[in-house]
Amino acid sequence: MSAAASVIGTAPFPADIGPRVAVHLLNRIGFGPRPGDVERVLARGLDRYVQEQLDAPADPELDSRLRGLTTLGYPVSQVLALYNADQRSIATILDELNTAKIIRAVHGQNQLQEVLVDFWFNHFNVYVQDGFARYSTAAYERDAIRPYALGRFRDLLGATAGHPAMLYFLDNYLSRASTVVNGRIVQGLNENYGRELMELHTIGVDAGYTQEHVFDAARCFTGWGIDNLSTSGRFVYRPQFHDRDAKSVFGLGVPAGGGKDDGDKLLDYLAAHPGAAHFISKKLAERFVSDDPPVRVVESAAATFQATGGDIRAVVRTILSSAEFWAEAFGSGKPKTPLEFVASSLRAVDAQVSNGRAVAAYLQNMGMPLYSCVPPTGYSNRGADWLNPSSHLYRMNFALDLAAGAIAGVSADVRGMVSRMGGNAEDARSVASTISARIFGNGLSASTLAAASRVAPGGPVSVAVRVTGLCLAGPEMQAR
Amino acid sequence: MAWDVSRRVFLRGAGLAAVGVGFHPSSLLVRAAQAAEAGRRVLVQIFLRGGCDGLNLCIPFGDAEYYGLRGAIALGRGEVVDLDGHFGLHPALAPLKVLYDEGRLALLHAVGSYGLSRSHFDAQDFMESGTPGDKTTSTGWLERSISRVPGNAVTEAVAFSAQLPRSFLGPEPVLVAQTLSSFDLRARNWRGEAETLLRAMYDGRPDVLGKVGQETFAAMDVLLRTPEIMAPPAAGAVYPGSTVGSSLRQAAQIIKAGLGTRAIFVNVPGSFDTHANQLPANALEFTRLADALVAFARDLGGMLDDVAVMVTTEFGRAAFVNGSAGTDHGSAHCMILMGAGVRGGRVYGSWPGLSRSQLYQERDLAVTTDFRDAFAEVARAQLGIDSSSLFPGYAAGPGPGIVA
Repeated sequence: MSAAASVIGTAPFPADIGPRVAVHLLNRIGFGPRPGDVERVLARGLDRYVQEQLDAPADPELDSRLRGLTTLGYPVSQVLALYNADQRSIATILDELNTAKIIRAVHGQNQLQEVLVDFWFNHFNVYVQDGFARYSTAAYERDAIRPYALGRFRDLLGATAGHPAMLYFLDNYLSRASTVVNGRIVQGLNENYGRELMELHTIGVDAGYTQEHVFDAARCFTGWGIDNLSTSGRFVYRPQFHDRDAKSVFGLGVPAGGGKDDGDKLLDYLAAHPGAAHFISKKLAERFVSDDPPVRVVESAAATFQATGGDIRAVVRTILSSAEFWAEAFGSGKPKTPLEFVASSLRAVDAQVSNGRAVAAYLQNMGMPLYSCVPPTGYSNRGADWLNPSSHLYRMNFALDLAAGAIAGVSADVRGMVSRMGGNAEDARSVASTISARIFGNGLSASTLAAASRVAPGGPVSVAVRVTGLCLAGPEMQAR
Repeated sequence: MAWDVSRRVFLRGAGLAAVGVGFHPSSLLVRAAQAAEAGRRVLVQIFLRGGCDGLNLCIPFGDAEYYGLRGAIALGRGEVVDLDGHFGLHPALAPLKVLYDEGRLALLHAVGSYGLSRSHFDAQDFMESGTPGDKTTSTGWLERSISRVPGNAVTEAVAFSAQLPRSFLGPEPVLVAQTLSSFDLRARNWRGEAETLLRAMYDGRPDVLGKVGQETFAAMDVLLRTPEIMAPPAAGAVYPGSTVGSSLRQAAQIIKAGLGTRAIFVNVPGSFDTHANQLPANALEFTRLADALVAFARDLGGMLDDVAVMVTTEFGRAAFVNGSAGTDHGSAHCMILMGAGVRGGRVYGSWPGLSRSQLYQERDLAVTTDFRDAFAEVARAQLGIDSSSLFPGYAAGPGPGIVA
């Protein structure tokens, strides 16, 4: 972190620098500051805070908040049993999944881990409403994504490749060797996973592979399937469906006679390919630095990826240690996705979330329903893609509703919050400047502060509610 | 002409707006009126995401190879809606046959991109930018089209979509919305103050955040002050509740409200990526599509003479069935064209055939019409623009001659 420290030391606005840099860090490696977070980060020091986030220790307080969400821990077979006993239970199952996502983002101490779980789920996207995915998405995130979010890329890749949710979503569970019956070829292959494995999960569409490589990649995974879609929902390898002929995938020769390990060999090969190091590093830099990250950050992250055998923690550390990352504290910011906006707004007002259903409905209206990106591509990583009038109207209304305490499943007391932060809840100017100082690192613009300070005294809706709603609905809250 | 009626409605809406409390005087409505004077024709593009299978949309049942290639998912001669003895519509598209017979609906088969990508993302990007193989194009094809049309009302270009579609990417303002209803701030008992102060925060701000805020309030100005935008469908038209249904219902509303709309993009994120168990997925989505198109035509009535609809997708699917009763990513697809100037009742396009040697890379229906020729033809007819230079690096040809 020495490079980072030197950047901070020479930055141009010494009076502002502390809180502004702390807010930048909280916005980029987490879902933004809660009241008190800026001061906590400054007291602890940036290096120590980053290290704690990379370590991601146990978080018993979060665990206790999640304890009531019983289906979260179910294996797929138990979810299926519940559903088979009463189909209405699917509403509870999906509600608990959504609620857990919001609670983790809003209340979790390990913010970086939550950001990365979201990032990797989206990278290895499955669409929760797609048939069997309804019963296996919670298990997929819990077992294939979360344990490896800060781990080794190869482990993450392997966990997704063999998980029934992915096998179902990209149809690999149906893929089998083609056969010859009565002199005619009967197609058995399904190319879907083989293609997206290369295009979306590892080396990227511009790596230079061909249709023949896609075909052979899919052949490597023939026989990787699901034992039973309606009762147990476990991975199974069926050797009788495996294509045992030789394959050639983008420089990897797979000799004839292999079995399940044909797929494992291809995962080894792709995870270690320089194309994957670059593709993954660029996407991470887009998340943490900017929509068009500087080449230097991407290259140094990719070098770390290769040197460490795809150690995600090390790659993220490299990005967070770059001068470019810290310089962004003084840039114009990256537009937030709807999830980032919603979670950061909830955190900003010190909200307590008990149920995520209403919040999830807002996200749907903003164009980002949870776990519901239909194409395998996942949601856009570019902030600018999320700005449009309809979505923006829902953002402003979310902010106004949140400040007014009008969102079901969420409690927020902005008057009390302003008072606790030392502001005068009856005075518009005081509320606005308190929020600017404690939540935005003094980052609210003069025009936003001026407008919020014009809130009239008295009236049926309290000054604190109106000013807070306006500050969250205003332009600075839309970027991180 | 119905349009003159709706333009009067529009001007009444503008008068209301001028006296509305909290309304900031704006030239947007005036510009919308000018645009309505300049042209009344509308281009509607429906984009089916995921790679819709043209060989199951418009089925070449008369091609001897079809049944061998499609095997278990082939539809029988008696199942398809026979169009000309060679092609037939998928049975779920049967409601479109009336429009086809009336000469208001046509199909264009074997259309696509010679600069092929079987990646969803790339193929969509290439089609929407109109520059296959070039990812650096900073604008979308509809944005370039609309930029050549006079006027720049917030309702000139509309996208029914969760996000700004790549086709509209560029400096022209676009109203992006999933729904036009309740387009208002929720601030009970302090709405006027909230609007005034939020406008003050966004006005004059030059960055992307200022732009989106300003566009939001401009849209609010128009939508809240034009009650006709919420008019129910005419002539008993019943739209399906699907995405394409609700989007086309709202497209008809905004067209009928006469707000100078010239280009509408309808994003349809359905189950078109049919790698497995294709038949039920196609039956569901084609029913939704056909019912929505029929309702749209009925709702617009005579105004359909000014509105052209083109149904597109990023690529077709492989000619042969895969191992999962589905089809993997392919090449050429089939477009549906309906409405203004469409010389319907025909399946256009040169048929490349389905024998092994005729297939592209021995697997896909080959492209015989560049999608840009078809897009340019519709844009020329509907927007009155010179579309020969609409696609950087490509001189669009005379087109397939579908639109008069």
